[in-house]
Amino acid sequence: MTIKPRYLFSEAWSIARSGARQTAVAIFLTALALYVPGLLALLAKNVGRLAAQPQESAAVVVTADPGADLSALARRLAEDARIARVRVVPSEAALEHFRRAYPELGAALAELREAPFPPTLEVVLKPESPPGAAAEIARNAAALEGVETAESEEEFGRKFRDAVRMLRGAGLFLGALLTIAAVLSVASTIRLALDLHREEIEIMRLMGATEGAIRAPFWLHAAAVGLAGGLVALGLLYGTYEAVSHYLAREPHPVLSLFWVGFLSLPAALLLPAVGTAAGFAGSLLSLGGRSRR
Amino acid sequence: MIQLFNVSKEYGRFRHALTEVNCTIERGEFVFLTGPSGAGKSTFLKLLFREEPPTSGQILVNGRNIGVLPSSQVPYFRRTVGVVFQDFKLIARKTVFENIAFVQNVLGLPRAEQKRRAYQVLKRVGLHHQMNAFPDELSGGEQQRVAIARAIVNEPTLLLADEPTGNLDPALSEEIMRLFAEINIRGTTVLVATHDYGLIRRMGKRVLTLERGRLREVGLAPEPAAVVREAPFLPLG
Repeated sequence: MTIKPRYLFSEAWSIARSGARQTAVAIFLTALALYVPGLLALLAKNVGRLAAQPQESAAVVVTADPGADLSALARRLAEDARIARVRVVPSEAALEHFRRAYPELGAALAELREAPFPPTLEVVLKPESPPGAAAEIARNAAALEGVETAESEEEFGRKFRDAVRMLRGAGLFLGALLTIAAVLSVASTIRLALDLHREEIEIMRLMGATEGAIRAPFWLHAAAVGLAGGLVALGLLYGTYEAVSHYLAREPHPVLSLFWVGFLSLPAALLLPAVGTAAGFAGSLLSLGGRSRR
Repeated sequence: MIQLFNVSKEYGRFRHALTEVNCTIERGEFVFLTGPSGAGKSTFLKLLFREEPPTSGQILVNGRNIGVLPSSQVPYFRRTVGVVFQDFKLIARKTVFENIAFVQNVLGLPRAEQKRRAYQVLKRVGLHHQMNAFPDELSGGEQQRVAIARAIVNEPTLLLADEPTGNLDPALSEEIMRLFAEINIRGTTVLVATHDYGLIRRMGKRVLTLERGRLREVGLAPEPAAVVREAPFLPLG
């Protein structure tokens, strides 16, 4: 026998209404459990954006002597087969970049007669270049005429990417842990609902209701609680993102402003309600596994 | 219709609720099941309704051996049997209509058809004006009539009643029995468990007596009840 949607939804709604407070608490706990890993995912996504393009970030930064021929130096460096590209950053461009990153210092910088930053060359390596190549190129570059200093950024980049990876790992671990908490929260709600409807379930069974007809409304109720929790978490996360974005627009921060630039992608955002629904369903399976039986 | 062959039911090793029960109830019969408290009346009905399986023996209802019915088939079997409980077993949060139409609702019968059927059976028990009332708003007698309406709404071939008048005063008990008699006249086999011997005598139907789990006596009540035949409680149809 197939269970009719009308019966299913009306019974699930009735279960939700009969324990309105427990339902609200379960939604809140599920939302909280999903919000925290969601926030970590948002941070990891934004920070990761910087680390996700290692081929575009400079592996070696070469500071040239004032008055050195930057183009000639760039050509010379580009002769190395391991180098993909050499970006020339004149003093003015470096100053402009600094002004954008530190707008609160703009007034002080405006009074300077000459550019405070020396011209630099940013060396981008080919993706296939071996580890340690950046350090070697930096050493070679430092020996060139017109070069003041040459520093390898490889170590920093590696540490940065490791940090992002750790953030993602922490998000996943915490996410898994809190999802289990959400499952248990929904499971206890369903357990309470079962206790509340114990007599009723017995009567339904005596009247000829199949186990599926008895359990399905509880499954639907639990999945709906999880879905609602996921949607609330998504709403809270978006609210947080918007609030921080507004704050940073008003009060720019030298670090946060650099990476707080985008919300989760649509599939990643939809993962929250999807995980919530799955957690709710899992919670109901945990409670109903033999518990609705005599 | 109903046949029991050497049916025994034990709860644990030392509690024998029914012992070697043999009997036959024909289609369309009205039978009382009586005996003192603890004699096994409720167990007897539970076995017929497949609320419990027998420990041994065979139970045939409409030719089906319900003792070996797979648990997945039990709900479908129960829908062919109407049961009236002493404590009514109405769902408090559902209205009279919802209580009666529960199985039809699960089956997805159109709402209008559910209402039509519920109205018909409620009219038969004289409660068609209480469709939207909740059980708590009804008297004990009215709740019992709702339970009867629920039991007959699917037009069962067998109606079981476990002490249906146990909580009712004598006048209401008479009413309920008239109702059962009327349902029986329409072709439904009725089996009523009761220890109200006065009521049994007035009805003049076949009686099965249980004593300590054994079926001791099979016979007719001595005094037929003229009232049932002469003055039906409600018009038929």
